[in-house]
Amino acid sequence: MALPLLARLPRGRSLLAWIAATIMVLAIGGFLLASSGLYNIAASVPHIPVTRWFLHYAMQRSVSTQSLIEQYLAGQPAWRRALEVEGADRLGAAHFQGGCAFCHGAPGEPPVPVTQGMRPAPPALSEALPGWDDEELFWIVRHGFKYTGMPAWPAVERQDEVWSLVAFLRRLPGLDAEGYRTLAYGNSPPASEPAAEILEEGVPPGLASCARCHDDGLAPAVSRLVPRLAGLSRDYLATALTHYAEGRRPSGIMEPVAVALDPGEIAALADHYAGLPRAPAADAVPADPESLALGERIATRGLPEALVPACLACHGETRLAIFPSLDGQPAPYLAGQLRLWREGVRGETPQDRLMAPIAKRLTEAEVEAVATYFETRAGGAPAEGQRP
Amino acid sequence: MSGWRALPPLLLAVLALAGCEGVQSALEPQGPEAARIALLAEVLFVGAGAILLLVVVLTAIAVYAPEARRRWLARHRVVVIGGILFPGVTVSVLLVYGLLLMGAGEADPGRATGAGAEGGGSGEPIRIAVVGEQWWWRVVYQEADGYRFETANEIRIPVGRTVELELTTADVIHSFWVPKLAGKLDMIPGRTNRLRLAADRPGVSRGQCAEYCGGAHALMAFEVVALSETDFAEWLELTAGPAPEPEGEQERRGRKLFLAAGCGGCHTVRGTPAAGTIGPDLTHVGGRLSLAAAILPNSPEAFASWIVDNQHIKPDNRMPPYGIFGDAEVEAIAAYLASLR
Repeated sequence: MALPLLARLPRGRSLLAWIAATIMVLAIGGFLLASSGLYNIAASVPHIPVTRWFLHYAMQRSVSTQSLIEQYLAGQPAWRRALEVEGADRLGAAHFQGGCAFCHGAPGEPPVPVTQGMRPAPPALSEALPGWDDEELFWIVRHGFKYTGMPAWPAVERQDEVWSLVAFLRRLPGLDAEGYRTLAYGNSPPASEPAAEILEEGVPPGLASCARCHDDGLAPAVSRLVPRLAGLSRDYLATALTHYAEGRRPSGIMEPVAVALDPGEIAALADHYAGLPRAPAADAVPADPESLALGERIATRGLPEALVPACLACHGETRLAIFPSLDGQPAPYLAGQLRLWREGVRGETPQDRLMAPIAKRLTEAEVEAVATYFETRAGGAPAEGQRP
Repeated sequence: MSGWRALPPLLLAVLALAGCEGVQSALEPQGPEAARIALLAEVLFVGAGAILLLVVVLTAIAVYAPEARRRWLARHRVVVIGGILFPGVTVSVLLVYGLLLMGAGEADPGRATGAGAEGGGSGEPIRIAVVGEQWWWRVVYQEADGYRFETANEIRIPVGRTVELELTTADVIHSFWVPKLAGKLDMIPGRTNRLRLAADRPGVSRGQCAEYCGGAHALMAFEVVALSETDFAEWLELTAGPAPEPEGEQERRGRKLFLAAGCGGCHTVRGTPAAGTIGPDLTHVGGRLSLAAAILPNSPEAFASWIVDNQHIKPDNRMPPYGIFGDAEVEAIAAYLASLR
């Protein structure tokens, strides 16, 4: 019977001693097993079903709990607004094409076979995605997984970028090959076009990666989260690419692209974009006139009482070549950069040390106002004498 | 033995007295306001010294004297006179004396100098607004005809004239104190405090913020330069006017960089497009005695190190460090600023 059996179990201090002894035996046994080398870690040998189930279960539980903890600690996820910006999915898709499709494949594009020898093999996402909600996807893309090949986002502090990838992942399961190509290739030529032909036209190498997201002189950038490059100065462009490559201007999207460029290529790309005529700006967003007036005041006169100098003191007509013109830059991009300075995400470079203290003196409403004002502003002296 | 041990601290104390002279010493007054404070201080120190001596003697009597003397000390009359009457009278007399002394000549300290040009009389006081900001002093001259111009961290005044300072603050409480010229007066948010002072001879007095006002409080000083009437008039005419045109090639390059780098967003250089009001007016910065609120000498090298490294020189000050420049560019800007005399 159960009761006499229970009565025979050790109690009190002797129970503790039994537990301690059991743990020690298990630990020593485990260590001996590992030392013997009999456990086969070969990727070529599949897990037995129970191991696979257990690892999967632990992974799902971890994502679920950790993403909840992160949401709770982060409070209101302000960066989530990137998800709502038009074209966020195209930005996410373009990065997916450059950074993720290699392992995961994409509609109409199978993954590189080498990656399928990994254990676990990177899953085809159209099947794996539906089980996760937005916050969980955000957590996975941002942090990656230990013991698998899934890396963390290269600039883990750029939550805004991670959200734009989530915007794409939401759409991924419903995409066919054609839909994916439209979304992910942006302004870059179709992959089928022979590379030699592009090179003959004197286009700098690396341009295809740029054009997946950025404007190309004819079409605008794929999203208002992406800056317009045409007509920016070559000094500014080259400095920005160098800072991205060095990781001093954090970006999980730009860093992998910039790292692959040598100084000559950076100079060629900077020259190329500096010489491009500006594409006509996307239809101006209707803005609240009061907010526009505030934006204009900040841009032209600053807010002396809040120690904010006029933006145009540095970004106006007579600016240094390394200072960018802000005229016509999309508001979500400008506001996003101001928030990065405010939150301390950008703060490494000499340029950041100029902007960060100023951005920290702006309120959220002022950030929105001044960003919107600059998007509507079509001043400056565009290259090629062409006015947008 | 114990007597010998007291010697080093005593020597140190004597050495410390050497610190009582110089550009920032209340014991070396340069004007009637500070002279009265110094006089009051002397009366207090000498009087307090005498009383201390008396108390020590009485204590010695109480401990070592023969019994008859000690009994005298314990008499009712001695206790009433020495313990109640004497302190009461002394403190009351001092209070009245102090109030009379501090009030005397307050309205027109310039007259009290006797050094003024036209017969010691000072006429209309010179009005200067001084605004305490974290961590520097904005100085605004308001001329009789209503013309106003700004400078910073340096106040020039003519000898023998009454100067009325309107003290305000842009942020937190600061305290305006030039020990050689006057007592301290706080700058309090929402209030305008007025301080009248005058200098009786030419020379430089150093002042300092005397109320903790944040991280770099200790690096918030200024200078008051008393000039002869003619020197002052000359200085006033020069300083009220626009900045001089740069003469050399390097200075011209410096001005171009200064404007292109957006320095004019915060600083004004009258006569150029730079018209910012956030930081100090730099129109004649090259002619000032010192830089960065009297913490650096005025030299091209000091300008250069301030531009690049100001966050180390004065941590958390409101100016961002300009690490974007190369050495040649910084030198050009420094040369331009130093040429703004």
